[in-house]
Amino acid sequence: MELAFSGWSGIVILLVYGLIMLSVGVITFLRNRNIHQSLDEYYLGGRGLGVMVLFFTFFATQYSGNTVVGYPPSAYRLGYEYLVSVPFFIMIIMAYLLFAPRLYSLGKKYNLITPAQWFEKRFKSKGVTILASLLMLYGLGNYLLEQLVAIGQGVDGLTGGTVPYQVGVVFFVIIMLIYGWLGGMRSVAYTDTMQGIALLFGVFMLLIGSIIYFGGLPTSADYMQAYSPEKLGVPDGPGVVNWFSLLVLIGIGAAVYPHAIQRIFAAKDERTLKRSFSRMAWMPFLTAGVVFIIGIIGINAFPDLSTAESEQLVGMMASAVASQNVIFYWAMVLLFGGVIAAIVSTADSVLLTFSSIISNDLYGSYINPNASERKKLLVGKLVGVAAVGILILVAWFPPGTLYQIFVLKFEVLIQIAPALILGLYWNRLHTKAVFTGMLSGTIVASVMTIFGWSYLGVANGLWGLLINLIICVVGSLVMSVSVVEEEEAKQVIGL
Amino acid sequence: MKKAKKEPIKNGKIWIVLGLLFAMVNPWYFPESFGEILVYGVPLWAVIIIIASVLLSAFLSYVLKYHWMLEEEEEEAEKKGAK
Repeated sequence: MELAFSGWSGIVILLVYGLIMLSVGVITFLRNRNIHQSLDEYYLGGRGLGVMVLFFTFFATQYSGNTVVGYPPSAYRLGYEYLVSVPFFIMIIMAYLLFAPRLYSLGKKYNLITPAQWFEKRFKSKGVTILASLLMLYGLGNYLLEQLVAIGQGVDGLTGGTVPYQVGVVFFVIIMLIYGWLGGMRSVAYTDTMQGIALLFGVFMLLIGSIIYFGGLPTSADYMQAYSPEKLGVPDGPGVVNWFSLLVLIGIGAAVYPHAIQRIFAAKDERTLKRSFSRMAWMPFLTAGVVFIIGIIGINAFPDLSTAESEQLVGMMASAVASQNVIFYWAMVLLFGGVIAAIVSTADSVLLTFSSIISNDLYGSYINPNASERKKLLVGKLVGVAAVGILILVAWFPPGTLYQIFVLKFEVLIQIAPALILGLYWNRLHTKAVFTGMLSGTIVASVMTIFGWSYLGVANGLWGLLINLIICVVGSLVMSVSVVEEEEAKQVIGL
Repeated sequence: MKKAKKEPIKNGKIWIVLGLLFAMVNPWYFPESFGEILVYGVPLWAVIIIIASVLLSAFLSYVLKYHWMLEEEEEEAEKKGAK
């Protein structure tokens, strides 16, 4: 990507961002020296995150640099059909209403640290816990990989190739590992706040600059009316099905992200959690909505780009805006620094949850249950570092478009939803049905995706989810849960 | 006075409203002409989707605030006790 403002200013801003993140880690470490003895303190910030920090750390799980760089090209290609990106982020909050209230209460009651620990508590089955843990680790790994690739591309673009892809990835990964290691959830959440603010500021400046420089929505609409009226039109049959399936897939999928679930446990209290969600319900307009408009303005600003060219749309628009005057120049540098920071903030959240599942659920529950918390923590951190190392090697060969992998991780992660949500309310849910459902759903969704099959235009993850859900429900109705098990489940999920 | 515990999932009315709003944020009910009418450069159907989305967000905020009450009272009491 050729950016007009790439070069030394980009390097300066990246160094500044890197230093801020690092200082956050060091300060957190100095202020909370005892957190390395306790899983609760390290992975959940001692269950004490307040509204502002909790909000931004939830924000970082849902909105990444990809939202800013990857969504406008989609809006550019699809036109108003991509307006779906606004309601699908709202759907995530609707999905939270299904399970977050009770999960928060139970998390508090049983001192839960990871989502996998909830499965263990509820189903008391090694099979279910391990399967769910592996699905989450796989999904999180993919997710992390995607972020690493994006960091490299971002740094390469912002510095005009002066800093090569590999150096960019290694620089930010090392910083992320250091502050994550030093401060755990606290570091992650504080840096998320700083990164979120930088991103929001930059996106708004880009919007303002684009409107001034290229003209607003009416100008773009005139262009579309003349040359591509389909981009203004009401979505047709398959378009509506795709819209619907995105709303359901992303609504449920992003709500059951393991790192998002973990943040429910980290809330200081119920009121804090509710307020954070309430703010999140409005963020789609300020983020997805704004980047959507930028993409639509791009239709008029840079007409007739090929799919590959359109992927560079945000860079082209930001370059044009930056060349207007010095304020926009620095705003665009901040934006691109913010994009990279936002990617780092998503990556660190994912990595922390990845480590916590290793520490608490695989190592801590099955491999060495008698280990001290300090040792469990250390193992989780080390495996996390090793996983990042492997993923970096994979990231040297980045895949083409980001969108496909984005759908891929959802398809696996979403399969934990029936066990998670039904398990909270239905004490007759049968463990074997849950296991079979989760496994079948994963296989169906993965096979369909790998072989490129699709049916009725509905996302593959949803077909897997549907099969998973049917097996869970029908299986539980056919196989009877013993009176003792039912009573136990009732005890666990009762408030 | 002790307020009753409230859990959104148990309130059927909430889900009827959410169901209706969900139906409204899907673009299945527009005549084709809504793609031709523009409001400040935005097609009419998209304007309606945006309005429906705002309503959805507003309703979610309302439910979060008033219909989710499981721990809050105890936590507030604990806080006061601690002071």
